Amino acid sequence: MMKPGEIIQREAASLSSLTATMAVMCYLACLAIGALILIDRAVDGWTRGLAQEVTVQIKEVDGRDIGADVNMAQQLLRDTVGVADVKALDRAQTEKLLEPWLGSVGLDALPVPRLIVVTVDVTAPPDYLVLQKQLAAVVPSAVLDTHQRWEADLTRMAGTLSLLSMLILTLIAAAAVAMVVFATRAVLDANRHTVDVLHLVGAEDKFIAREINRRFLGTGLVAGSLGLVLALLTFYALGNTGLPQVEGLATASRSLLQWPNGFALIGLLAVPLVATALALVTSQLTLMRMLGRIR
Amino acid sequence: MLKLDHVGFRYGRGGEILKDISFGLTRGELAFLTGASGAGKTTLLRLLFLAVKPTRGTVQLFGQNVAPLRRQDLTPLRRRVGVVFQEFRLLDHLTTFDNVALPLRVAGLDPQSYRQDVADLLEWVGLKAQAQSYPPVLSGGEKQRAAIARAVIAKPELLLADEPTGNVDPALAKRLLHLFTELNRLGTSVLIATHDMNLLAQVPAPVLHLEKGRLVRR
Repeated sequence: MMKPGEIIQREAASLSSLTATMAVMCYLACLAIGALILIDRAVDGWTRGLAQEVTVQIKEVDGRDIGADVNMAQQLLRDTVGVADVKALDRAQTEKLLEPWLGSVGLDALPVPRLIVVTVDVTAPPDYLVLQKQLAAVVPSAVLDTHQRWEADLTRMAGTLSLLSMLILTLIAAAAVAMVVFATRAVLDANRHTVDVLHLVGAEDKFIAREINRRFLGTGLVAGSLGLVLALLTFYALGNTGLPQVEGLATASRSLLQWPNGFALIGLLAVPLVATALALVTSQLTLMRMLGRIR
Repeated sequence: MLKLDHVGFRYGRGGEILKDISFGLTRGELAFLTGASGAGKTTLLRLLFLAVKPTRGTVQLFGQNVAPLRRQDLTPLRRRVGVVFQEFRLLDHLTTFDNVALPLRVAGLDPQSYRQDVADLLEWVGLKAQAQSYPPVLSGGEKQRAAIARAVIAKPELLLADEPTGNVDPALAKRLLHLFTELNRLGTSVLIATHDMNLLAQVPAPVLHLEKGRLVRR
């Protein structure tokens, strides 16, 4: 038995332009999602590193032996619950840290403070307020730096970047919706004669909308898949550039494609599905509204 | 079945095309609608198949005043009405078979369930050989017959036909008229708009005559 012909002609409802522009939108959406995931991961890595380590700075004070102060502070830190490791930097190591800012000449004459790097147990860190007081009691010039200010700055910056990515995603979705609305109107205009005949032979708006909407199902899926493949190729290409200038970006791009750390891939794979759903819902709503205006 | 009471119609702010039309069609009645070109026959039929609303007066179809009905409520009424358009209004991208089957398809019926009915009707109107042809390659008479077949395939309670024999030879016109009278005999009310006097002579039926938008019963 022959299958009934398509009521809405493929040629009279060309969606190739929409498919192409939707594919670009999906590609941009994939890049934005990739950026969002990379920011999230980077911040997570940075803050974990910062939370793992605190620094004790001991200044030179007249009348006190800085070497003895460092030893006392180290002893106190080792005895503190929640401290995993204590490592004091000697004067040479500290001067090396200062070199980029002060140069290497004449540092001997300066009262260079000494640093103690303290690795803490992140699951049960020490009480920093208590620790600061205890340190001050033993070594008055000791200052505990928990890096919380840096952590807050990083979190704030990451929040701003995440918000920006979200905004870009929202704008992409809004532009896609607008394009689908225009395309739906164009399809309806191109098929006005068919729609009139369908109404007159007793077709409900739902039936007509369903016939037209079939075209948008394919559009969303094809455009979403094209955008996703292009984005994956972009991440792959970025991950394999071999240029030292973009090594950080390359590593991040490679990590996006790694499985089973596949949250990123799931997020990216959702793009074709979301694009299809967006195209279908938008065209359905537009069609029902427009068909409602035709008697 | 169908009742018009002091119906008037105008397009936008133009003059009235239909003026004070009142008439009724009972179940199983057949009537002719005549009038010169531009008298308002097609507009009156458009009113009757609910393509436009009257600007005054009331139209009752199957006992319902159609004026206050919402769009979605018109669809069940339209499914009870078969329409043959003067300009056929076939869909060029569908085969003759699919065009004729369209009212059944939009009603959600399974193609398997109506395949034989459509084939039988196409054979009856002499379009069996053209079942898989597309309207652009059909002659005027063949398009006319396809349009009539589409109008009657769902066994409507009311059949409205606008110049249904305008493009066919006298022999086929007679055969098509026979189809309409057969449907009428089975209970379908039929209103045929025509200016073919031969057609009027073949069936004893009331004639509604339109003159400059006014109805004159003959």
